[in-house]
Amino acid sequence: MKQIFLALARSVVATAVVMAAPVAMAQNTIKIGMITDRVGPAKSFAEPVAAGAVYAVKELNAKGGVLGRQIELLVEDDQGRPDVSATAARKLVDAGVAFILSVSLTPATQQAQSVSLETKTPHMTPSNSGDTLTTQINNPNFWQTGPLGSTQISTLLSYARNKNFTKVAVVTDNSDLGQLTARFFKEGLARANIQVVSEEVVPRGSTTADPQLQKVRAANPDAIFLAGVLTPENALILRSYRQLGLKQPLLGNYNFSIPVYGTVAKGLLDGLAFVDAFDPARPQTRQFIENYKRDNNGTEPYNLNGYGYDGVMMVVDAIKRAGSTDKEKVREAMQATKGFQGVMGGVGSSYGFADGKRIGFDPNGMVVRVYEGDAQGKVVHVGVK
Amino acid sequence: MSDFFELIVGATASGCIYALVALSYLLITRPTGVINFAVGEWAMVAAFGGFLTLSRFELPYPVGMALVLALMIGVGWLTERIAVRPLVEKGAPPLAPILALLGMLVVFREVVSVGMGPDPQPVPPLFGYGRLELGLLAGSYQSFFIIAVTATVFAAAWYFFERTLAGRSFEAVAIDRRAAALMGINLRRVTALAFAGSAGVAAMAGLLVSPNVSAHYLMGLPLAIQGFTALVIGGVGRVEGALLGGLILAIAEQFTVRYAPIPPGLAQGVPLVLLIAFLLVRPTGLLRARESRA
Repeated sequence: MKQIFLALARSVVATAVVMAAPVAMAQNTIKIGMITDRVGPAKSFAEPVAAGAVYAVKELNAKGGVLGRQIELLVEDDQGRPDVSATAARKLVDAGVAFILSVSLTPATQQAQSVSLETKTPHMTPSNSGDTLTTQINNPNFWQTGPLGSTQISTLLSYARNKNFTKVAVVTDNSDLGQLTARFFKEGLARANIQVVSEEVVPRGSTTADPQLQKVRAANPDAIFLAGVLTPENALILRSYRQLGLKQPLLGNYNFSIPVYGTVAKGLLDGLAFVDAFDPARPQTRQFIENYKRDNNGTEPYNLNGYGYDGVMMVVDAIKRAGSTDKEKVREAMQATKGFQGVMGGVGSSYGFADGKRIGFDPNGMVVRVYEGDAQGKVVHVGVK
Repeated sequence: MSDFFELIVGATASGCIYALVALSYLLITRPTGVINFAVGEWAMVAAFGGFLTLSRFELPYPVGMALVLALMIGVGWLTERIAVRPLVEKGAPPLAPILALLGMLVVFREVVSVGMGPDPQPVPPLFGYGRLELGLLAGSYQSFFIIAVTATVFAAAWYFFERTLAGRSFEAVAIDRRAAALMGINLRRVTALAFAGSAGVAAMAGLLVSPNVSAHYLMGLPLAIQGFTALVIGGVGRVEGALLGGLILAIAEQFTVRYAPIPPGLAQGVPLVLLIAFLLVRPTGLLRARESRA
C-alpha cells in the first residue's frame, strides 16, 4: 500500500514538474512589450514595423537571446487609439516587461507615455515621426528613433537647394500625421524663406483631388511638396496631377517610400523625389535584406520592417549593456547609446542620443531617392548638408 | 473658365458615386424602414472583388464586373437572411436590425482587413487613365464612364419602380406594409430583393470608384457617410432624390474647395453643414415621397 502511495506521489510530483516547466521557462525570459495597431488607421504602417520587430526577436533568440535568456515579445493592439494605447501600456507593465516599443500612431504613443512616465518603464518608438513626442512630455524613460518630420523637410530642401524654389505648394491629407507633417514642412519652408502660395488638404475618403490640384495649378508654384501620409489619397493627388497636366517637380514625404505605391500609383510616379531612411547600398541593410528574405520565404523587407528591427536591436543592446533588466539601469544604458549601427539611415549614419536628448535618428541619416518609372531609384542625396 | 467645366465633369462623377450609395440605402430604407450603414462596406468588398477579378486574375472587364455584381447580390441576400430576418421574425424592435447591420459592417471590414491585408490594392479602369475633351467639358475616361453607368442604373431603377409590377409592390410596401401584405404581396420576398438589389448597387459604386481611390479596407465608411448625406439631401422617398442629392453634395463640396476663400481644412465641413441644414430645414429631403403627393 505504502509503495502504491509512493508511486502515486512520485507521478503527481513528476507531472507537476513537467507542467511547471514551461511556466518556469516563461518566467526566465526577458519580456519586451510592443503596442501596435492591428485594426485601426495606422495598421498599414504599424504591422510591417511590428513584423520587423518579430523578426529581430526571432533572430536574437536563434543566437541565444540576451544575458543568457530568451526574449519574449508581448504584443498589444491599441487600434490606433490613444486611450486604448495607455491601457495596453499598463497591461504590459503589469506583465513585467523590461521595455515597451510603440509602433502605432503618434497620438497613441504620446498617450502611452503617461504610463511609462508614471511607472518609470523604458519606452521607445522606432517609427513615429511626429517632432512633438519628446518635447510635450518631459519623460526621461522615452526615446524616439524614427526620422522626424522636420528632418524630412530639411533633407528635401537640402536636396532641392540648387533649384532655387521661391514659391511652392504644400498638399496634405486630414489625418493627424498628415497635418503634423504639413506643419513641419511649412515651418521648414518658412525657415528657408520659401513662400507657400497654395496649401491644400485632400480629406480621407475623397473620390478626386481635382479641385485641390486645380488650385495648385492656378497658384503656379515652383514645386509641390506632398506631406500627406494616406496612400489612397496620395494616389488620387498623383492622378489629378497627371490628369490636369501639371509639370512642377514633386517632392514627397517618407510615405512615398512604401513599395505599395508601385502598384496603386502605377504609371504616376516617374520623377517623384521622396525622402527615405533606407539605403539598400548600406552593408548592414544589405545583410538585413538577405537574412530576412531567407527567413521569410523570399519576401523582401522594406524600410518599415527595418524600423521595427532596429527598435528591438537597440533595446536589446541597452539591456545587454545594463547587464540586467533593472528599469533604471536599462534607462541609463539606453540614454548612453551612441554610434549604434542599424539597418536604417544613409551610409555612415548611426543612432545615438546626443547631449541628453531623446531623439536618436541621425539628422544626416535620411536620403532622397527619385522614382524611375514605377521603381524606386538609387539614393541621389544624403543628409541635410 | 476651363477649370469650371473641368470641375463640373469631376464633381458630377463624384456625385454619381455618392448617388449610387444613396440609392443603395434607399432601396432598403424605402420598403423596410431600416437604415443599413454597411452599404459602404459592400462597396469596399466589391472593390476588392474588382481587384481579384480584374487585377489578380485579369479577367475581361465585363466578366469580372458581372462576377462581382452577382457575388454581391448574393452577399446582400445572405445579409438579410442572417442579420435581419431572424430579428424581424422574433418581433424585435425596429432598431435591432439597424444595430445588427452595424455589426455586419465591422464583420465585412475585418474579414477584408485580415484576409486581404491593410495595403490598398489597384483596380484597373475599363478605358485606361486617358483624358477626354468634349468642347469645354474635359475629364478622365473613368469620369465619363462613371456618369454613363450611373445614368443607366438610375434609369433602370426608375423603370423598375414606375413601370414593373415588382417595383410597384416595393412602392406598395413602402406606403403601407400591412395593407400590402393583406393584398397578397410577399413581404419577405420584397425585403430579400431590397437587400440583394441594394448590395448590387453598392457594388457598382465600389467597382466604379476603386480605379481612382484603389481598393482598401477603410474606404467603406467615408462612402457610407457621403451616401447618407446625399440621401438626406435628396430625400428617401424617390429614386431621383438619391441622384439629385449626390450631385448637389459633390458639386457643393468640390466648388467650395476650388473657389471659396476659406482655409483648406474648413472646406471639409461642407457636407456636414449641408446634412445639418437639411435635417433642420427640410428633413424629408428635396423630393417628397409619393404618398405625400396623394
